[in-house]
Amino acid sequence: MSLLEVRGLRVNVDGKPILKGLDLTVEPGEVHAVMGPNGSGKSTLASVLAGRPGYDIDAGSVALDDRDLAAATPEERAHLGLFLAFQYPIEIPGVSNMEFLKAAVDAHAAHVGLGEPSAVDFIKRARAAAEQLHLSADFLKRGVNEGFSGGEKKRNEILQMLLLEPRLAVLDETDSGLDIDALQVVAEGINAFRAADNAIVLVTHYQRLLNHVVPDHVHVLIDGRIACSGDRTLAHTLEDEGYGWLDD
Amino acid sequence: MAGSTTERLPTQSGRTPSALARRLLDLEPSGRPAWFDPAACQAVIARGLPDTRGEPWKYTNVNRWYDVAFAPRETAPIGIDASIGIDAPDGILAVDFDDPRTQPLAAAHRGKAFDLADQPLAAVNGLLLGAGVAIVVPSGWREDAPIRIPDRGPPYQHILLVVESGASVTLIEESSGFTHRIVEAVVEAGGHVRHLRRQRPAPTRECSLVAVHLDQEAQYHLAMSSRGAELRRNDVLVTLAGSAARVTVHGAWRLGGREHLDNQVAIRHVAPRGLSRQTYRGVVADRARAVLNGRIHIAPGAKATDAALNTKNLLATDNAEVYAKPELEIFESDVQCSHGATVGTLDEEALFFLRTRGLSDKAARALLVRGFLREAIADDEGATRLELVA
Repeated sequence: MSLLEVRGLRVNVDGKPILKGLDLTVEPGEVHAVMGPNGSGKSTLASVLAGRPGYDIDAGSVALDDRDLAAATPEERAHLGLFLAFQYPIEIPGVSNMEFLKAAVDAHAAHVGLGEPSAVDFIKRARAAAEQLHLSADFLKRGVNEGFSGGEKKRNEILQMLLLEPRLAVLDETDSGLDIDALQVVAEGINAFRAADNAIVLVTHYQRLLNHVVPDHVHVLIDGRIACSGDRTLAHTLEDEGYGWLDD
Repeated sequence: MAGSTTERLPTQSGRTPSALARRLLDLEPSGRPAWFDPAACQAVIARGLPDTRGEPWKYTNVNRWYDVAFAPRETAPIGIDASIGIDAPDGILAVDFDDPRTQPLAAAHRGKAFDLADQPLAAVNGLLLGAGVAIVVPSGWREDAPIRIPDRGPPYQHILLVVESGASVTLIEESSGFTHRIVEAVVEAGGHVRHLRRQRPAPTRECSLVAVHLDQEAQYHLAMSSRGAELRRNDVLVTLAGSAARVTVHGAWRLGGREHLDNQVAIRHVAPRGLSRQTYRGVVADRARAVLNGRIHIAPGAKATDAALNTKNLLATDNAEVYAKPELEIFESDVQCSHGATVGTLDEEALFFLRTRGLSDKAARALLVRGFLREAIADDEGATRLELVA
């Protein structure tokens, strides 16, 4: 049984076909990079996996641990172990990062039938994760992504991933807008998360993150379909040659 | 602690406020209660009840309700016959209006903070007053212990608060749950008042007037959280009468069902170098209706005034109604004045984000609403105390 099984996925957004029969299989312990030019459908794939409203499956199937996701709400998918790191993290003024993180962790605990972690244990965990991502303790007290720099917002997404310990993390352009130091910190966070019982789908335009997070498989998405798959060397080829050679 | 003056009105008295006012004026002086305010009677006769045709009362019609409210007054006793039950720390004087010590306070201060002619319900309050308390916070008072105004007492209440120069005090006020309450405050030079006002959800109809007069360098900070009521009307009127006075008004409300909240706030800058900040956040659901009229009046000569008003409103359903209106009256050129008003809906992207983190749709909405309201009542302690984050 695969961790993620996408079969013949077709998705229209506002009546326009974006994904046109996409197949993707992810096994536990694997990191998959999904690359492709702008407009190829990368972010649509991330959105449809997470259940974003307006991104309905027209044909094909998506299963996480053999459970069909088509009819599941975003929160049900989260409870099943799916996590989406947003390309453009959302600001929530007035809600502190700590309050938000605790609400998220508590929601997961409630779903699996565990009690909520004690406030003290939770704060310890949150602080440790923040430290791992080179974020100050003060960062947890601020409003969610409110006034955060681009790099801080992306690190905050990784912080959520570390605390929620998903089965499958879909990282949508997490490397965009990061300077080289921040990229390294984010990559360290992703690598620390990486384990035999989870999997990661990295959606990215550039291969530079893949220098730090080495993928097992690289897929090139062109016009709503996987045009080509390979190992990590495919990313280097793309870096050298661009996406144009795939059109030939 | 209240004294009592009981006298029955003639059984054939009219049901209208002005008829009642005339009858009160006709009473022999010896038969009039100590608090008797002929000016209030005259204002009622001249003006009557608020008129929905005028702007200030456009959204709130109290006439229907007074038909009912006045009927029991035909046989009810008049006079100060009940206690508000104010809890004031030792060292602060709090006496009923029947107490002779009230007279010089009333003579010195009443009428500074508001004009009866502009406040028709305050005039009606003057006729029907059930309990009145005068409070004096002595000069230099700095204790932390607050004055508490509880949620009980008779339908018409009047609290006169005098904060002497340099004194600093906190007022914690629960909603009356009754018909009309006046909180009239005179803050002398350098005095400081923090007023926390919590209006709980209740199936009541209630109106209130908070009227504050600030002398030089005096400060008044109001934080008001309002849940819904069948009808709730808050008039807030602050006059910066002395130079370099400061006022902040923070209001947050959350309504549902068919609840009605009408906030009418007016800040009057009369003296130079005053500073005022108004921040409002409201969430309105179902078929509820919220009104905010925020007026900034800057009189000629109020130079170097700095005034700002910001209001944001969330409509949680299509049928909810919000009327948010900043009103600026500026008669001086050397001022800074800014205002902003928005009405919107919950951010769908933020809702989706929270749901991808495992929060249910309901929990996600509640968290977003909480955060939104906290923008008005920023300090967490205050927000908790005001039950905004419940």
